[in-house]
Amino acid sequence: MRLPDGRLVRSRVVTDPRTALVDALDRETTGYAVLEPQGSLLLDGDGHGIVTFERGVPVVAYHTGTERGGPPALADLATEGPYRLELFAVDPGALERVHVRDSFRVPPGMAAERLVGDSTLAERTREAASPAPGGTGVDDDAGRSRDSRVQSGDAPTDVGRGEPDAGDDTADRQVGAVEAFLDDEEKVAAIREEAREEAEARAEEWGF
Amino acid sequence: MRTFFTERGTTPPHMVEAFAIASGKGGTGKTTSTLALGMALAEEYDVTVVDADMGMANLLFHADLEAVETTLHDVLVEGGAPVEAAVYERHGLSVVPCGTSLADFASADPTRLRDVVATLAADTDVILLDSAATLSSRAAVLPVVLADRVVVVLEPTIPSLSDGLKVQEYATSYDTGTAGILFNKVRDDDAISQIAPKAERYFEGPTLATVPASEDVRAARRAGRPLLAHAPAAEAAGAYREAARALDVRDGDSGTVADRFRSAVVPESP
Repeated sequence: MRLPDGRLVRSRVVTDPRTALVDALDRETTGYAVLEPQGSLLLDGDGHGIVTFERGVPVVAYHTGTERGGPPALADLATEGPYRLELFAVDPGALERVHVRDSFRVPPGMAAERLVGDSTLAERTREAASPAPGGTGVDDDAGRSRDSRVQSGDAPTDVGRGEPDAGDDTADRQVGAVEAFLDDEEKVAAIREEAREEAEARAEEWGF
Repeated sequence: MRTFFTERGTTPPHMVEAFAIASGKGGTGKTTSTLALGMALAEEYDVTVVDADMGMANLLFHADLEAVETTLHDVLVEGGAPVEAAVYERHGLSVVPCGTSLADFASADPTRLRDVVATLAADTDVILLDSAATLSSRAAVLPVVLADRVVVVLEPTIPSLSDGLKVQEYATSYDTGTAGILFNKVRDDDAISQIAPKAERYFEGPTLATVPASEDVRAARRAGRPLLAHAPAAEAAGAYREAARALDVRDGDSGTVADRFRSAVVPESP
């Protein structure tokens, strides 16, 4: 995925991807976040995750390690933090060529809801994505504006089938971020292994 | 199996099973779930619910116990109150709330929880330990260590599942089994029907129930009452009754009792 050069507006180490989503939403950033895991549980190669935003609302997700886009890329982003976060702003329209990749798109609230588990942030994001009365809004496939979704049943926003974010009116059901996470047996095994080692170490420390 | 027994006078050994209601992450609805499961189980069993989230107690707010004098904190201090003084009968349950004062938490010895649970075990069939939403301290992990099995409360999100898996690994490390998983705050039936079977592959217990996100739950919480008391006909309440039916409470086998509960876990005081 080729991204346009952007203006770096934020660079820091964060504990989880939530900060990137909050930052972009608060700043109404049109641009992209690059999230590079720094933690010990590094899978999926050495890649990093990319989430693009339109006025603070996630549009496309991609992972350079797995080369997957869309909701599975959100699952690929899920590792133990911390992450190095870089948030770039671009000129309006600069991401158009990236955003036409339907298969890379994610429903507006999916990253907040499923990747970071913050339903309040997800709701805020969906509201930001919804067309205001008389306005244009960003995309809406969050299942919150059913009328507009029905009318745009085959619009490129209809990705990520199978989670509440994702709408429900297409046969071409795409795997959601949570399912993609659960399908990644290697990652789940790594999480369990790390937890087991931690539990055993602490058992000794705590006298269990 | 960590079933334990106590003897009182000539009464024969009494068997109980202790469950920790746990999740690695906050906000999954553990306390709501603990009380709802407890009330549903109380239709068949004698149930005692303990607020074992000692650093961030909130069960008292859910069970109309805010005004009570004696709580678990008072029992856990050196020379403190007897357990019986902190047991309250509410909604068909015996409830042991925990206080919310951090100073009281600091002076309480969480490791005494072991004796508290052993004492309570004399008079009940099922003990539910509402556990902390973290695995970062001994006090937080203790309920998982003490329980026979955990019920892992999950939301259908990646961090919740990831933390739930960690809870199970901790439990397994301390020879605590997994009784099942409970999906809470579910807002989409289709998605959960895809997610639950995939999650089950990694958890050692079945999906006990899928509890829908519900205004009834929030209303019950605002009213300071358990869901099954506030809105017994709600769909979410029905889901908890389903979970209780799916939970195979074990009678305990006296051959394996080995009062391991009293002897196995003896951490030093902090």
